[in-house]
Amino acid sequence: MENPAIVLWIPIIILSVISIIKLLNKGGPNSKPWIRIEKVEENE
Amino acid sequence: MSNHLALRSGNPALQSSTFRDHLSSVSEGTMTLSGTVNKTAISLILVIASAGYSWSNPAMHALAMPAALIGFVLALVTVFKPKMGHVTVPAYAVAQGIFLGVISMIFNAQYPGIVVQAVFLTFGTLGALLLAYMSGLIKATENFKLGIVAATGGIAFLYLINMVMGFFGSQISVISSNDTMGIIFSGVVVVIAALNLVLDFDFIEEGAEMGAPKYMEWYGAFGLLVTLIWLYLEILRLLAKLSSRR
Repeated sequence: MENPAIVLWIPIIILSVISIIKLLNKGGPNSKPWIRIEKVEENE
Repeated sequence: MSNHLALRSGNPALQSSTFRDHLSSVSEGTMTLSGTVNKTAISLILVIASAGYSWSNPAMHALAMPAALIGFVLALVTVFKPKMGHVTVPAYAVAQGIFLGVISMIFNAQYPGIVVQAVFLTFGTLGALLLAYMSGLIKATENFKLGIVAATGGIAFLYLINMVMGFFGSQISVISSNDTMGIIFSGVVVVIAALNLVLDFDFIEEGAEMGAPKYMEWYGAFGLLVTLIWLYLEILRLLAKLSSRR
């Protein structure tokens, strides 16, 4: 193995990415969703 | 609150009774998150500055062990007299910095570049776990706290036995060996040290929410500093083991 530190960065990066995704998706009752899918009635 | 585990931490400095013993003495303001972050930053700057100084000054190398001993005494004073934190915590940071500077220089002489990697990995771990804590990915539940406290106690006990065995010229090989078991052991210790950060975040957050006295900001910073120093040393040991196999 050329650089052993690279292996140790993998869990740190994975944990950070998952946490950031979770933070972005975190929504309380007052928060606006990034994407909203609404049912569109005909001739609306 | 005495039976409540919300404030339990694997860090021996951060115990459930810590806030309870000091809640009644609020007079000079209350603990805040930003205040604790500032004091942690000041302590880290002191550690890094004194480590840099002791690394580059050969005259300081003889002071490594006395500094570690003084740091240990200051840690005990901080635990038993948290009100003195504004004096003992910066002094502890300087003493530990001197010790870490010399230890890091020795490791770096044997495995060049290892210290920079360990420093970045330590702060990377701190950032990742802070994100995980903020996002709720890792929650400091009662079972989580109990698990980390038990695991940390187990490691401390193992290190204590190893130290006693050292007096008789023997040691537990898995702690220092670079074989597969030794690396797995170091990896597990690094993970447990890292998870102690979550308990420290929880302790600081609870303290701020409960309106602990202002001087407890230094105590929260001290707890985080103890964990970070332990984490750095364990990462350094793990990297040294991995590097020695190349």
